[in-house]
Amino acid sequence: MMHTEPGVFGAISHPARRRMLDLLVDGDRPVNAIAENFEMSRPAVSQHLRVLLDAGLVTEQRHGRERRYRLVPERLEPVRDWIAHYERFWDDNFARLRRHLEKSTEQ
Amino acid sequence: MTTKTIRRELKFPQSPAAVWRALATSEALADWMYPNDFEPRVGHRFTFRVPPDPRAKFDGLTVHCEVLRCAPPSELEFTWVVGDGWLDTRVRYRIEADGDGTRVLFEHSGFKEDQAFHGAEFGWKMMHGKLAKTLEKASGGAALPSPVSDNPALKA
Repeated sequence: MMHTEPGVFGAISHPARRRMLDLLVDGDRPVNAIAENFEMSRPAVSQHLRVLLDAGLVTEQRHGRERRYRLVPERLEPVRDWIAHYERFWDDNFARLRRHLEKSTEQ
Repeated sequence: MTTKTIRRELKFPQSPAAVWRALATSEALADWMYPNDFEPRVGHRFTFRVPPDPRAKFDGLTVHCEVLRCAPPSELEFTWVVGDGWLDTRVRYRIEADGDGTRVLFEHSGFKEDQAFHGAEFGWKMMHGKLAKTLEKASGGAALPSPVSDNPALKA
């Protein structure tokens, strides 16, 4: 299955998942060390981690009984590049501004 | 924290007065941007209402603005705030005569890294699906981490 970028944006749209990523910026962590930062149930934590896994934002390793999570920072590049999409937003608008001015000065 | 600014220099054959009317009247802004309740006076608070687009699963959104400077026909500046303040930026136009036409110096400033992070969902929605295509293209040949679904550790 190919990761689609919308998955990345959807994955970071939840504050709990952003906080999980923040925690992993400092290094790999086992699931317990992640869960202790949240007041939600363990299944809820696992569900959020699953979304991050599916988006390719984290990977999971098993060491015996322990599961450790690691951030995949490259996956956040499209997010860092979001300003480029705002640039396109303005360029599209200014193309419309140009047409607006042509239209309104013709009359 | 460092902030980023979008800058554009635009040239128009029309007069500064015509360009000012296009940038600083509610009717004109509704034509080339979005429905709004703009008024050309400092301190006026207004919104741009970006309409929903069901095909792109976009719910629409409201951009909150306040006029900071209004000096016809040469300078217009307003705030550009989205969500509960996570995107707190400013838009500024400076308008100059340029021969028979007009030069507009545009700046949208105040983009912060953390805004990008927390506002990514908006950035995504804002582009009405255009982003999807761009990103698909961008990631087409890129080396991505191996899909997690292939990771044997994940199989129950």
